[in-house]
Amino acid sequence: MSWYDTNLVLIQASITGLLLALSIQVPLRMGVFSFAGVGAYGIGCYAGAVLVLDHEMTALPTILITTVLGAVVVLIVGLLINRLNGLTLAMATVAFDLIISVVAINGGETTGGATGRYGVITDFTMTHMWTFLVVVLVLVALSERGKIGRRVDAVRDDPELAASVGIRVRRYRLVAFTVSGALGACAGAMNILVRSAVTPLDIGFHLIVLALTMIIVGGSLSWKGAVIGAVVFTWLPDVLQVIGEWQELVYGVIVAFAAVLMPRGIYGLYVQGKLAVLRRRRAGSSEVRAAMAAEEARESGDDGPHVESTMAEAAHRGDEPMGAKL
Amino acid sequence: MQDLLSVVTLGSIYLLFALGMSLTWGTIDILNFSHGSIFMFSVFSGYLILEHTTLPFVPVLLIGIAVGAVMSLLVQVLAFEQIIRRARDKRTAEMQVLIGGIGIAIIPLAIAQHNTHSVPFGLRESSFTVHTWQVGDLRITNIAVITIVLAAILWAAMAFWLRRSRQGLALRAIGVDTEVASLMGVHRRRLALATMAVSGGLAGLAGILFTFGLGAITAESGDTLLVKAFACIILGGVGSMRGVAFGAYVLAACEVWVLTQTSGSWVEAVSFGLIFLVLLVRPTGVFGRKEVRRT
Repeated sequence: MSWYDTNLVLIQASITGLLLALSIQVPLRMGVFSFAGVGAYGIGCYAGAVLVLDHEMTALPTILITTVLGAVVVLIVGLLINRLNGLTLAMATVAFDLIISVVAINGGETTGGATGRYGVITDFTMTHMWTFLVVVLVLVALSERGKIGRRVDAVRDDPELAASVGIRVRRYRLVAFTVSGALGACAGAMNILVRSAVTPLDIGFHLIVLALTMIIVGGSLSWKGAVIGAVVFTWLPDVLQVIGEWQELVYGVIVAFAAVLMPRGIYGLYVQGKLAVLRRRRAGSSEVRAAMAAEEARESGDDGPHVESTMAEAAHRGDEPMGAKL
Repeated sequence: MQDLLSVVTLGSIYLLFALGMSLTWGTIDILNFSHGSIFMFSVFSGYLILEHTTLPFVPVLLIGIAVGAVMSLLVQVLAFEQIIRRARDKRTAEMQVLIGGIGIAIIPLAIAQHNTHSVPFGLRESSFTVHTWQVGDLRITNIAVITIVLAAILWAAMAFWLRRSRQGLALRAIGVDTEVASLMGVHRRRLALATMAVSGGLAGLAGILFTFGLGAITAESGDTLLVKAFACIILGGVGSMRGVAFGAYVLAACEVWVLTQTSGSWVEAVSFGLIFLVLLVRPTGVFGRKEVRRT
C-alpha cells in the first residue's frame, strides 16, 4: 500500500479540517469575529446524513444542497446579529453553535438523539473531495489578491474609512457570513460522507476550539496559514502517540505558546523571515530599502503611524478631563 | 418553595463564579477563558490534599481560594501580559487573550483528566459533613446556607468597593479608558494583577462550595460553568455588578423552570438561548452601560 492509501483517513480529515478552518478565517479576514461556520458544519453533517439516509440522494447533490442550506442559515443569523462586534459577536455565534448541538441531541428520529446517525454510504470519491478543495482554495486565494483583496483589508482594518470611500461594509460583512456558512456546511457534508457517522459529540465546543487553534497557529491572514494549521493539528495527535496519554497537555501548551509568541502564526513567521532575508540581501540599495520598509510597515499592520495616532488620540481625549479639573 | 430555594442556591454558585469573570472583563478587558479550568483545578488541589490529611471546612476553603488566586496570577503574568504587550491594537489583543486562555485552559484540564481518569472527584475526606435541616416543608442543607450567605456578602462587598473606594474608582477608570486612566496616575499593572487574583480566588471559593454542595465534580465541569457565566454576564451587561447578580439568578430560575417542565436534556440550551436572545434584543445587557464612543 502506498503512503497515500495508508494515510487516507488523515488526508480526508485534513481537507475537512481545512475547509472548517477557512469558514472561520474568511469572516475573520473581513473583521467579523464569527464562529457561525462551526454551526454550519454541524448543520452540514446532519443535513448530509438526512439527505442520504432518508431521501436516498447521491454525493454531489447532497453536498450542493447542504452547502446552500448552510449559506442561507448563516446568512439569516448574520442578518440578525449584524449590529454586534468583536467579542459579543463571537459569543453570539458560539451560542448559535451550541444551540445546534443541543438541537441535535433533542432532534428525535431526524438526528438520532445521542447516538447520532450512521451508515451514510454514497458514491463519494477522493476525486470529488480534491476537486471541491481546489475550487474553494482558488476562490479564497482570489479574494486575497488585487482589488477585492485590498477592499477586504480595508473593511477589516478601518470600516469607517472603507465606508467613506464607497465600500459597502455591511454587504461585505453579510458576504462573510454567507461564505462562512457555505464553507462550514460543505466541510460538514464531506465529513459525514467520508466518515459515514455523526454524533452530537462531534459538533460540540471542542470543534470551535480546534478550528480556531488551526488558524491561530497556522496564521490568520492568508489561506496558506489555514492549510498549515489544518495539517499540523490533524497530524499532531498521530505524531504525539509517542507521548501517549499526555498529548492533550502538549496540545494545550502549543496553543498557549502560539497565542503568546506568534500572534501571526507560523505563516506570519515565514513572511517575516522572508522579509528579513530580502532586506539583508538588498541592504546596499537605499531605494530598495525604502520599498522594503514600506512593505514591512504594511505587513506589520502600520505600527508607526498607528502609535502616533493613538498618542494624538490619547492626548486629545486627555484634554477634556484635565481641563475640567483645572 | 423548594424550587425557589434551588434557584437561589444555584444562582449563588453562578454568581460567585461569574463575579470574577465579570470583574476582569468589565475593567481590565480580559475575557479569561481559563476561569473554568482554574475553578476545577482549585477543587482538584483540595481533593489531592484531602487524600492525605483530614482538614476542617475553613482551611479547605482557604486552600481553594489560594490555588485559584495563584493560578490566575500566573496566567496573567505568563500569558495575558505578554500578549497585551505584543498586540498592536485592542481588538487583536482581545482575540489573542481569548485564544491564549483556551490554550491554557487545556493544561490543568489534561492534568486533572489524567490523574482522575475522567472519574468524578469530591472532597469527602474533610471533617465537614453536610447536614440537612427541615424547616416546615423546606429541606435546606448547611452548605446551601453558607453558599447563599457568602455569595451575598462577597457580591455586596465587591459592588461597594468598586463604587466607593479609590482603587475601585481607578479600576472603573481603566475600564472606560485605559490611556487617560494612566495619564491620571493609575498604576495599571498592579491593579490588573490584584483584579486577576481576586477573580481567581472567587473561582476557587465557588469551586469548593459547589463541590461540597454537589458531592463531586468532573474535570470538565469548569467548561460547562464557563458558558453559564457568559450567559450571566451578557444577560446583565458586561462590567455591571447589579447585572451579574441579576443574570446569575435569572439564569438559575430559567434552568430550574425548564428542568421541572421538560426532561433534563433541554437545560443545556437555556444559557445559549438566553445569550442569543439578549444579544439580539439588547446587546449591552439589561444593566449594561452605554458603549463609550471614541471619535
